[in-house]
Amino acid sequence: MPSNAFPIAGRVIHQLVRDRRTLALIIIVPLVVMTLISYSFPENKAMLSLYAPALLATLALFFSFLLTGISFLRERTQGTMERMMASPVSRLDMVLGYLLGFFIFALTQSLIVLMFTIYVLGVTYSGDLWQIFIFLIVIVTMAVNLGIFASAFARNEFQMIQFIPLIIFPQVFLCGVIWDVESMHKVLQWIAKFLPLKYAVGGMEGIMIQGSSLLDVGFELGILVAFVVAISILAALTLRRGSAG
Amino acid sequence: MPRLKYTGPAIEVKEASFHYKKIKAVDDLSLEVPQGISFGLLGPNGSGKTTLIRLLVGLLRAKSGSVRTIGRPPSRKISRFVGYMPQLSSLYNELSIYQNVDFFARIYGVRNKARRRKLVEEAINLVDLWERRKDSVHKLSGGMKQRVSLACAVVHRPQLLFLDEPTVGVDPALRVTFWEYFRSLTQRGVTIVISSHTMDDAAHCDRLIFMRQGRVIAQGSPDELTRATGDPKANLEDAFLYFVRREEGKSLAK
Repeated sequence: MPSNAFPIAGRVIHQLVRDRRTLALIIIVPLVVMTLISYSFPENKAMLSLYAPALLATLALFFSFLLTGISFLRERTQGTMERMMASPVSRLDMVLGYLLGFFIFALTQSLIVLMFTIYVLGVTYSGDLWQIFIFLIVIVTMAVNLGIFASAFARNEFQMIQFIPLIIFPQVFLCGVIWDVESMHKVLQWIAKFLPLKYAVGGMEGIMIQGSSLLDVGFELGILVAFVVAISILAALTLRRGSAG
Repeated sequence: MPRLKYTGPAIEVKEASFHYKKIKAVDDLSLEVPQGISFGLLGPNGSGKTTLIRLLVGLLRAKSGSVRTIGRPPSRKISRFVGYMPQLSSLYNELSIYQNVDFFARIYGVRNKARRRKLVEEAINLVDLWERRKDSVHKLSGGMKQRVSLACAVVHRPQLLFLDEPTVGVDPALRVTFWEYFRSLTQRGVTIVISSHTMDDAAHCDRLIFMRQGRVIAQGSPDELTRATGDPKANLEDAFLYFVRREEGKSLAK
């Protein structure tokens, strides 16, 4: 039983709550970004509504990835990870604990952005709000685990930031955020098949634009869940005892 | 705290080796530590003390040879009976002293709230920081962080305790308090393995080894080691140099 997941989640939450400036940035930065993007669409709410699902999926991925990646990396560099690995805490405890702890912030962040986009920026949507929530939850879970996994390959914060162009940019350009996947070269379309953001964008557009239900976007949802499972396993593998460097 | 019933040696290392790429950090090292004593690992920087401790807590696996603590290979299962204070202070900087110590108590299995409160308070008092328990760790000086780190390592009352250079940055008065506390622990049957490069710490240990280039060049009580030099006025520093020279003589003779 992963009984140590709760103390770890509690600790992660305490850490973020006590760090007021970070907490403020977590909330304000995505809102500023979303506002700027929305005003860059020249007086065309319909156009923005068309792009909003993809933007929401991208922001959820980007900010959740950044938040967990950096926090987890700090844990690795400040030596507390080593300390936890010498304790009775299991890998499952660590992955679940982190997931739970960050998840609450990453989700709050994504929800605030979603609400802001709908109610302040006036983006229209079809489909149920709760189904959009659920789909966002899956995207955030995937991004949190991706952050944990990626942090294993960085030695410091500077390197972690370098992963953004590697992991986030290609997805933004290849996954239908800016132009349709179908209009790209065959090779790029093929690459996009292996990128989670493609399914995140597809699902969000399905629900928000076409008014589909979660069942209708079951394919995208299923693939995203598969990504979550695979990335969680990879993330857990980076926490192996007896392999500390 | 529950104790693991076991009467054999606290630590048994047989011909263990570990190397980082090309550097031999621990080289064919054998060691036996009985329970209930303080055991010093003495040697200059880079002599393999930290690597040895990391092998003993299971953070590293020996490439060859065997390592046993409390009669078993180091694993998560027995880690709740073991305490570990790494060389870096390794604390959560945003959290308060209390939150740090409480977190380690929780993950080391102290589930009962009342009991945990008592143990956490005891550990923080021990390092004399109770007045500042609500302060964030990032506000503390290096020596204070070291004290918090010690509190985190002992809060669950381990029966085997590994301390990697615990007295670095700790002022002389507190160092005396630390050693009084370590003494009280060994009297209760706790085994303490402590690494240091100061001979002041060495003199307090029941037994110690001198390490150099991943190997043990001498072992015994502080008395035995100084007497081996043949000089009645020799201190541990002299003893260490004596054994280093003897070792160099040996390797030259080969």
